[in-house]
Amino acid sequence: MKRKLEISDGNDYLKYLTKEKDIADQIINHSRSMITIINREYIYEKVNSTFCNAHQVVLDTILGKSMGDVWGHDTFQNIIKRNVDICFSGKTVQYEATFYTPQSGKRHFEVVFRPLSIEPGKITHLLAETFDIDDLKTSKQAVIEKEEELRKFESNLPIGFLRCDPTGKILHANQAFLMIADCHDDMLVNSMNLKSFYLEEELFDLQIEQLTESHTKNFGRVSLKNCSGKEVPCRISGFLALNGSGAPAYIDFAVEDCSRELMLENRLLQAQKLETIGSLAGGIAHDFNNILATISGYSEMLQEDLPKNSDLSDKVSKILGAVKKAQSITNQILTFSRHVEQEKVLINVSEVLKETIGFVKSSIPSNIVLKSRIPKMSANVLADPTQLFRVFLNLMTNAIQAMEEEGGTLSVNIAVVEKEFVQHELNKDIVADEYVLLTFKDTGEGMEPSLIGRIFEPFFTTREVGKGTGLGLSVIHGIITEMEGEILVSSKKQEGSVFLVYLPVSKSYSIINEKKNSSRKKILFITGNKYESRILSLALESAGYELVFISDGRNFVKVMTNVRERPDMVIYMIDSKQITPEDLVGIFRSQKILTPCILITDPTQEISDEKLLNSGIISQQLTKPVSLKEIRNAIQELLR
Amino acid sequence: MPGVLIVEDDKELREMLKMSLIRRNFTVIEAENGKDAITHFKPFITDLVVTDLIMPEEDGLKVVIKLRELKPSIKIIAISGGGKVGPGSYLNLAKALGADAIYSKPFSINDLIAKIEQLLDNEQHN
Repeated sequence: MKRKLEISDGNDYLKYLTKEKDIADQIINHSRSMITIINREYIYEKVNSTFCNAHQVVLDTILGKSMGDVWGHDTFQNIIKRNVDICFSGKTVQYEATFYTPQSGKRHFEVVFRPLSIEPGKITHLLAETFDIDDLKTSKQAVIEKEEELRKFESNLPIGFLRCDPTGKILHANQAFLMIADCHDDMLVNSMNLKSFYLEEELFDLQIEQLTESHTKNFGRVSLKNCSGKEVPCRISGFLALNGSGAPAYIDFAVEDCSRELMLENRLLQAQKLETIGSLAGGIAHDFNNILATISGYSEMLQEDLPKNSDLSDKVSKILGAVKKAQSITNQILTFSRHVEQEKVLINVSEVLKETIGFVKSSIPSNIVLKSRIPKMSANVLADPTQLFRVFLNLMTNAIQAMEEEGGTLSVNIAVVEKEFVQHELNKDIVADEYVLLTFKDTGEGMEPSLIGRIFEPFFTTREVGKGTGLGLSVIHGIITEMEGEILVSSKKQEGSVFLVYLPVSKSYSIINEKKNSSRKKILFITGNKYESRILSLALESAGYELVFISDGRNFVKVMTNVRERPDMVIYMIDSKQITPEDLVGIFRSQKILTPCILITDPTQEISDEKLLNSGIISQQLTKPVSLKEIRNAIQELLR
Repeated sequence: MPGVLIVEDDKELREMLKMSLIRRNFTVIEAENGKDAITHFKPFITDLVVTDLIMPEEDGLKVVIKLRELKPSIKIIAISGGGKVGPGSYLNLAKALGADAIYSKPFSINDLIAKIEQLLDNEQHN
């Protein structure tokens, strides 16, 4: 409603003006802002009561004071002056700063300077309005901090978090989801639909439907495929939010990568399966050994009854040979099912590995490169070195066979790793502070994912029927498990396989050191293959024996004829080329040597050992592979 | 002739052992499990026992302990087709419990008989 102005003379007009000025003053003085007018000398010409109150002064004392006097000269020079000068150049200036006032101390203010022209055509003054925005600022800051905290929380969360529109189009994705998606361009992810990550897109539509009904739902495990095409098993749950009118507004998804969990679950399942097969196979092997004992017993009796070297006696020999073969299989099964006791000594893994590599190198096909880096390191484990040799040999032979046709590279490495690393990789009970980690990597044909889980099962083989028993890897698994170690495999078709072997490092004192005294028994080794026999010698040296190697006949005669040098025992490996069985028998007979002699035969080689066995110089016969326990038992028995 | 007790639950294997021992003129007594062997043990006619280790009823380890108790001078040979108790094998345990010799199956019957003869021979000399 407009006020009607009734003015009859100058007096009335003056009254009217005074009244209007009063009203204006009231408004200005009651404003919550400090309002002032400042001239070009930075002197206050007008101030409102809010300004006076803030500085706890009366009006008369402040007028004529400079801005520097009021706010302090430093504050004036550093903050105020340049803004004032800009304003006098004709621009409205707005800025925020912290000022001190006697009324409320240090507070945050917003300041607006507006140019004023009291004389026409000239900026003579400026109008300053100063608002206390401290509370606003504090609450704004709090909001920003809260937001930042939430953002951090969300991005640090190990669970993928997504906000999508009701159709599944991604509006926002956190860092963890970008990791799962294997896409580091969040702009790209934010333009995609979550559906496109689903392996089965219909499943996503179904889940959206379910969310529309129940609003929040845990979908369990769902397979996603990420930007690089890799399948990632995820646990997904969703929450659908409604808008004011009850229509779907957005959907939040939590996406958790459960590949590690799944991997560990699978591994556990695998271990349980192997355990079951193991006890089953162990039972069968036990029964088989009874049957084999019966067969061999009757065969031996039969052989006694038959004339020597007769046709029938030869046939019985064949039966006994078959029994031996069958026994080696039952032994392997028992090793896999860990029904066989391993005799263990403290042994440096890298030494056994070096010997095995030497052994393999001597017969490696020319199209395969063997790369190995075996640093001098102390990596002592409690093991039967002959079995470790078997493990390494088998893994390398498998790798070579996988590359036989196309050629490739076999890399063998050894390292010592901390238990924390092992804990993370294996997620099993840790039995040592450090582990030896051996890596056998080939570039061969690789394996189908469905096969990887089964390779440690006994009798599982990818080779054609008749080639190998399929017991190799299961036996290795048994040996390593018995050592409280672990064997892991990863493989990709056409790219190759990697076998990782973890063995707990033993800190026990070496038995060798304790037994280094003069009473050590001397054993003479006659062998063709230096690597293989070195493994046995590592084992026996660890067990406290003194080993002497002989590879040529002349030395052998010299050692055997010298009473001082003569060993306490001779171990003869049938593969020795330099000293034939005839040489051995000859020397023993001519020198009338009574030293006990152990013969080690190789069932895979057709070398006749009959003459040697009938010569009467052999005290005991062992068949390869010989375990430390077997050879030690034999030695102990003979040296008693 | 010395008496040998065979404790073995596998009938065919027991028969084989029996036949091979009779051929060498031993007197043979049979038991098909540990319980049988212990309850029907005849100390005066038994000089040596060949016992399996994993058997139903009482196992072979019990036989080793019990017979050694009933007749301290008895000779004991344990035979086994494998198997472990804790970290050690049954056979090694049997040896620790007092078996004079151990053989894992399948073994050479000639070796076993030679061992039996050697153990009983020593006995006579003592």
